[in-house]
Amino acid sequence: MASFWRDAVEFAPLLIKGAGVTVMITIASLILSTLLGLFWALLRTSHIKVLSKISTTFVNIIRGIPILVQLFYIYFVLPDLGIQLSAFQAGAIGLGIAYSAYMSEVFRAGIEAIDIGQVEAAQSVGMNRRLIMSRVVLPQAFRIALPPYGNNLIMLLKDSSQTSAITVAELSLESKLIAASSFKNMTVFTLGAIGYLVMSLPLIFIVARLEKRFRRA
Amino acid sequence: MISIHNLHKAFGSNEVLKGISLEVTQGEVLCIIGPSGSGKSTILRCINGLESYDRGEIRVGDHLVHRDSKEIIWIRTHVSMVFQRFNLFPHRTVLENVIEGPVYVKKEDRMKATDRGRELLKQVGLANKADTFPAQLSGGQMQRVAIARALAMQPMAILFDEPTSALDPELVGEVLSVMRNLAKQGMTMLVVTHEIAFAKEVADRVIFLDGGVIVEEGPPREVLVNPKHARTREFLKRVMHVPTPNSLSST
Repeated sequence: MASFWRDAVEFAPLLIKGAGVTVMITIASLILSTLLGLFWALLRTSHIKVLSKISTTFVNIIRGIPILVQLFYIYFVLPDLGIQLSAFQAGAIGLGIAYSAYMSEVFRAGIEAIDIGQVEAAQSVGMNRRLIMSRVVLPQAFRIALPPYGNNLIMLLKDSSQTSAITVAELSLESKLIAASSFKNMTVFTLGAIGYLVMSLPLIFIVARLEKRFRRA
Repeated sequence: MISIHNLHKAFGSNEVLKGISLEVTQGEVLCIIGPSGSGKSTILRCINGLESYDRGEIRVGDHLVHRDSKEIIWIRTHVSMVFQRFNLFPHRTVLENVIEGPVYVKKEDRMKATDRGRELLKQVGLANKADTFPAQLSGGQMQRVAIARALAMQPMAILFDEPTSALDPELVGEVLSVMRNLAKQGMTMLVVTHEIAFAKEVADRVIFLDGGVIVEEGPPREVLVNPKHARTREFLKRVMHVPTPNSLSST
């Protein structure tokens, strides 16, 4: 046990650095997936059939390809097309695009849950499409979407470990590297797992509270 | 002010309005009564462009109503609507509901709109509810807020789509009394209602609609007290809960 603590102290700086990268890539891909997901959802719920079709097609394609393959594609194939990205950039963009599909479903469900009477009331005071969306539909849809959005965030945090496959030095890759050089598998991966729990458990509790609050309202 | 000429509207193969023509003049209170499914609400929804129509013409002032034209915004900011199910915005306070249109659509100064909003809430008897959310109100209170929201647009006319039909019986009175006051102040009102007593008392004119056509129209003492048509008499008997031999089979 004493050696565990000694090793822990020794490995902590590298692991914390890895956790920092995990947080950064999660935040970056969260922002991208949120904006892109909202974009897909707005296209999907639009009255123009072609736009809705385009959105559905894209979302299905994204959902049908494993995240890992998407990451490989962005990191290894795009350079052949003249687009050079750092591992971090490729990871954030790949995760962001992959998760935009799940985010769009969350937003779409929120938008479609809004009573048509809300839209009619907004129309009846003279609001145009843009105002109806920004003042009436989206504020209510976000509230409905918040718990499942939080769940996606937790999944995203954990799936950020997949970017280790394209050499992003986040928590799981740092763990693997330290374990490989020190042979202290048990210590290192235990610490790695604890690192993820420290980040995800608070999120899990927050989402659970949101869900409870939402059910009451 | 509002003129409808030969209005036709079908939902699929179901023709709901079969050639409606009517005029609403400034300051008039016009009540539309008739069995459910007769197309009463559809007329109001067509006037406000919530529904398209197939043939005929609706004008508000000089403006032709067409759901997909730019003018529809003008029409909606000048003709307000009160819905059967209130349709208040649940994520905004009572006061915010009232000033939403003036501030965001008409771009009025927020302070001014707020002052008038509070004034309107006082007028409908809800001055003390300005900062509560709709979920905390009773149905009657919600509908009064909806009326204040309609008034906040300073409309030329207000369309009431069965404003008391979703209310518990004991809450109907407070909404009708607000509407009665509006009528007294000279507001132009087009009211779809099942409240025959209210129509009798407040309406300048009553229209009885059945099967998508206007069966009878005139002052309330004629249409509601001495109806000429058998269909009007039948309907009135039914809604006044006077039992008739075939009242069960006819519904």
